Amino acid sequence: MLNSFLDEPIKEPITVKNYVGGEWVNSKGELVDVINPTTQKVIARVPISTKDELNIAVEEAQKAFSSWRSTTPVARARCISRMVGIMEERFEELSRIQTMEHGKTIDESRGETRRGIENLEVAASIPSLMMGYNLEDIATGIDEYLIRQPLGVFGIIGPFNFPFMVPLWFAPYAVATGNCIIVKPSSEVPISQTKIVEIAEEAGIPPGVWNVVHGGRNVVGEMLDHPLIQGICFVGSTPVGRDVIYKRCGETGKRVISQCGAKNFVLVMPDANLERTIPACMTSFYGNAGQRCLSGANLIPVGEGLSDAEYSVFYRKVADNFVKAASKIRVGYGLDETIQMGPLRDNAKKNRVVSYIEKGLEGGAKLVLDGRQVNLEGDWPQDAFLNPSVFEDVKPDMEISQEEIFGPVASILKAKSLDEAINIIHSNPFGNAASIFTSNGKLAREFQYKVNCGNIGINIGVVAPMAFFPFSGSKDSFFGSLHGQGRESVHFFTESKVVIQRWL
Amino acid sequence: MLLNTASAVIRFVTTLEDETTVFYEKLAEKYPEGKETFLSFSKENRKNKVAVERAYYGVITDALEACFSFKDGIDSNEYSVNTNLPEDTSYSDAIKVALDIEGNIQKYYVDTASLSEGLMADVSIVFKMMAKKRANRMVKLREIRIS
Repeated sequence: MLNSFLDEPIKEPITVKNYVGGEWVNSKGELVDVINPTTQKVIARVPISTKDELNIAVEEAQKAFSSWRSTTPVARARCISRMVGIMEERFEELSRIQTMEHGKTIDESRGETRRGIENLEVAASIPSLMMGYNLEDIATGIDEYLIRQPLGVFGIIGPFNFPFMVPLWFAPYAVATGNCIIVKPSSEVPISQTKIVEIAEEAGIPPGVWNVVHGGRNVVGEMLDHPLIQGICFVGSTPVGRDVIYKRCGETGKRVISQCGAKNFVLVMPDANLERTIPACMTSFYGNAGQRCLSGANLIPVGEGLSDAEYSVFYRKVADNFVKAASKIRVGYGLDETIQMGPLRDNAKKNRVVSYIEKGLEGGAKLVLDGRQVNLEGDWPQDAFLNPSVFEDVKPDMEISQEEIFGPVASILKAKSLDEAINIIHSNPFGNAASIFTSNGKLAREFQYKVNCGNIGINIGVVAPMAFFPFSGSKDSFFGSLHGQGRESVHFFTESKVVIQRWL
Repeated sequence: MLLNTASAVIRFVTTLEDETTVFYEKLAEKYPEGKETFLSFSKENRKNKVAVERAYYGVITDALEACFSFKDGIDSNEYSVNTNLPEDTSYSDAIKVALDIEGNIQKYYVDTASLSEGLMADVSIVFKMMAKKRANRMVKLREIRIS
């Protein structure tokens, strides 16, 4: 009989080390437990590194910069390509570690690994991506050309929800363009980035180019203030991204990509193919247990062109199908291949989600599916688990409709027309993603044209840009100018230098 | 086992392909009259496994609806194959067993392809291709059974 459980790659708790200047270094900082959110067992211990340790890492990175920037782009690209090869060999191990440290399902972890690798693949074409351009004879006998040059040391601050992939939206491009990096993973999920730097070392990335310093606010604060750090890439919450990262980078003159929170809307038009829409919504709203900045959060069945009576019937059909599908989601350990949703990252995050469910009830919304009644596949501690929740009768100004819950909670709102639905989207402070499900091209185009969000989905629930496109965002979801991934990343990590030459 | 996620569906496929690879290798050893065909099947099974895994691991990204691609799922017991052959099984009976196995696997590919069509199209396309291969294989098995 086929066993649906996959082996855990981490058998005993590991003590995570910093990787600085090509050496694995024990931190002097306090060690903190890393808990598998499903089993509640300790799987690792991570140091909260000191400011001095960050400073040493920056110095090592700065020392490595001059040699790395003069390494040919082709040679740098080959290092990145070798990393791709090693990651393919260790694909399954890397994916299962994500499930163990974060809680997501194995399909989700493999998806994360794949997208991370795709970013390395794109960065491996840096000899083409980094090319400048030129024009002969801008005046008689004078030529002008543009070259892209790396800047030095960059800091990359990772979130807890995508422990493997998110730092790879930036790191491969930074390194491939000739910069050196300090990655600070979330201390809740430090193992994946430790594995990545192991791979970087194996792939021949020279000492000091790719460093990892574990820790918390101290390390982040020092990164923001350090004069040798040229720029910061951050993915996390809006209050931190806007009020700390973006603000401080402005004050210290650093480049910044600050990708923040979200409250994403999913519109379902009367002509949508519900058979495909509902499963796509399940991934959108409940994938990664709702802990993703591209999660659907507010569902709006839109009554465009329908009478009141017709809209009632259509709304009911969408809502009932959504609730029915959500109620059937199997929740448990992501290493069980039959599981469709894992736990929240930890108990505190679960409690935060529960507090929003309570706010929804207090605000007058109707809880038609209560995920607080935890029903698990398997005998796991319930500490970090919630089942899917669905609210109906949600008004656009309610807290559960306005604020990022970051958990498996869906709010269903009503809108009679596409214009009304778009106005609701625009009344929300976030602008990360929005999707429309329809078979009407005109409505889809209108949606794409008008909606002020960085990532637009048309019959797509999770609008995650491929590695060769930028991960966009607007309003309170993004602070900065250039985005992570693809060409924009290359521009972020390089300075354009213009040369005008005349030979006398 | 419930097959309701892409991961579960793919693992069951690879199990089927592995089990039948061994099955055909044993047939080739035991029945010289069908050796060439049986060995070609076991070789093809290995390729099938790679093709299916490549389709899945190649397209799975954090944007795909892998956890919900197979609707309510199906039960693996309905598609399990019995590859055990008693010692005294005749050549003709062995081929009959092979035909049953192939029919079962073909049905699995057809059923899962139709379930995932809207969400994991690349996987669905490979599954349809595999189902077609299985149909061709059944024709071949009938031919060698008669001859």
